[in-house]
Amino acid sequence: MTEHTVRSFSQDLEELSGDLARMGGLAEDMLSDAIQAIAARDLVLAETVVSRDPQIDALQVEVEKKILRLLALRQPLARDLRQVISALKIATELERVGDLAKSIAKRVKLVDQIDAVGALKGVARMGRLVTAQLKRVLDAYTALETDAASRVWARDEEVDEHYQSLFREVVTYMIEDPRTISACAHLLFVAKNLERIGDHCTNIAEEIHFLVTGEQLPTERPKVDALNSN
Amino acid sequence: MSRMEPIMPQLRVATPLQGAPRTQAPAAKVSAREVSVFYGDKQALFDVSLDMPEKSVTALIGPSGCGKSTFLRSINRMNDTIPNCRVTGEVLIDGQDVNARDVDPVLLRAQVGMVFQKPNPFPKSVFDNVAYGVRLHGLAGSRADLQQIVEMSLQKAGLWDEVKDRLNAPGMSLSGGQQQRLVIARAIAVNPEIILMDEPCSALDPIATAKVEELIDELKANYCIVIVTHSMAQAARVSQQTAFFHLGKLVETGPTETIFTNPRESRTQDYITGRFG
Repeated sequence: MTEHTVRSFSQDLEELSGDLARMGGLAEDMLSDAIQAIAARDLVLAETVVSRDPQIDALQVEVEKKILRLLALRQPLARDLRQVISALKIATELERVGDLAKSIAKRVKLVDQIDAVGALKGVARMGRLVTAQLKRVLDAYTALETDAASRVWARDEEVDEHYQSLFREVVTYMIEDPRTISACAHLLFVAKNLERIGDHCTNIAEEIHFLVTGEQLPTERPKVDALNSN
Repeated sequence: MSRMEPIMPQLRVATPLQGAPRTQAPAAKVSAREVSVFYGDKQALFDVSLDMPEKSVTALIGPSGCGKSTFLRSINRMNDTIPNCRVTGEVLIDGQDVNARDVDPVLLRAQVGMVFQKPNPFPKSVFDNVAYGVRLHGLAGSRADLQQIVEMSLQKAGLWDEVKDRLNAPGMSLSGGQQQRLVIARAIAVNPEIILMDEPCSALDPIATAKVEELIDELKANYCIVIVTHSMAQAARVSQQTAFFHLGKLVETGPTETIFTNPRESRTQDYITGRFG
């Protein structure tokens, strides 16, 4: 794409992309560290996740300021307008991902006494899938690839399936050993948070599609078996 | 708002249909078909086809020298006044070709009003500015009729309250924005069906611009309006359909919303986002 005649306009847009890339990187790191912390019951690592959340919040505030300025001063149109609006929405999604990762990290000390290693492994598996989804959708945003975005969007079904089976697994543990109920309940919240992060990834995928094509993705997600797995 | 019937025959009557009726009646008020314009050997417009619907605003956008003003002028045959200017193709108003031999260009220019970038009130009073065309075309039967037409036109142009106490003041004593609205009142006094505007707000301050845009919004309920503008934002604000011209060709036409959020052609996108060479 050619440069704007007024170069500072292009620079503004590049800065915006840069901020979003930084938010994405932060969110990815927070998530993978939170998963690692839960799986290894690492309280120190969990604490670093919690302490990083203000950074991502601050970035979102910065992004919103820049967008307000861009809209008022540049009156972007067509693709530029879609890029700016998408950036606003994606920033919100990433800030929520950060919050959810923090929430997962906070529960590490509450699942401390769980012996049900199997359940923790299940969470770790689901966590790795969701982390991969996040990475793929952020790469798709950087490259502006709608096919890659659509694959992430379709693959959320797998995330949902993981959540369902993890839910059943954890409930079984609770029935078998009522002493684990409290910790298992927190584990269910962690699983739910992961499932929500998966949903945020599909939202970002929809924004990418809208940015590039100007159209919405259809509301019905295609079945995951029909597509190549990554 | 009722339209007053002119006493002089309208364009339709002046050019009675001869021979077989048109086989394909256009739906649009103004319809250009393969219009090309030449200044001597230089071709300024290349086979432009565009429908401009009634009761709606069509905006023509494009870089300087792209042919949009030339195209606008071909609708009311203002190009006739330019020496060595030749027009081919058809410009149809209500299905009738404006370049047909038996069309009276003077009558045509009453039916198709025009407003220019620099407001050009006549060196006459406010009243006489608006009354000029009415008198010329014999549209008022009496002094009372004339006064009523002048008042109604100034009302429609949103200028009446500001000038009602000084109708005898010179038209040129008004501010820029008022002059432009006076010129619009003058155009609509002769009961046109179509109003052409060539960058009507370029010389106006933002408040005067807003008033003219508000006026355009109101007028579109009754007129077919075609406006040439350099301001993308203005085209986006006032029009329902936008046509993008480049180097004498019509590149893309579409609903204004679509042109400014998701245009088809990359040239259109480049122009409206400020990426042009």
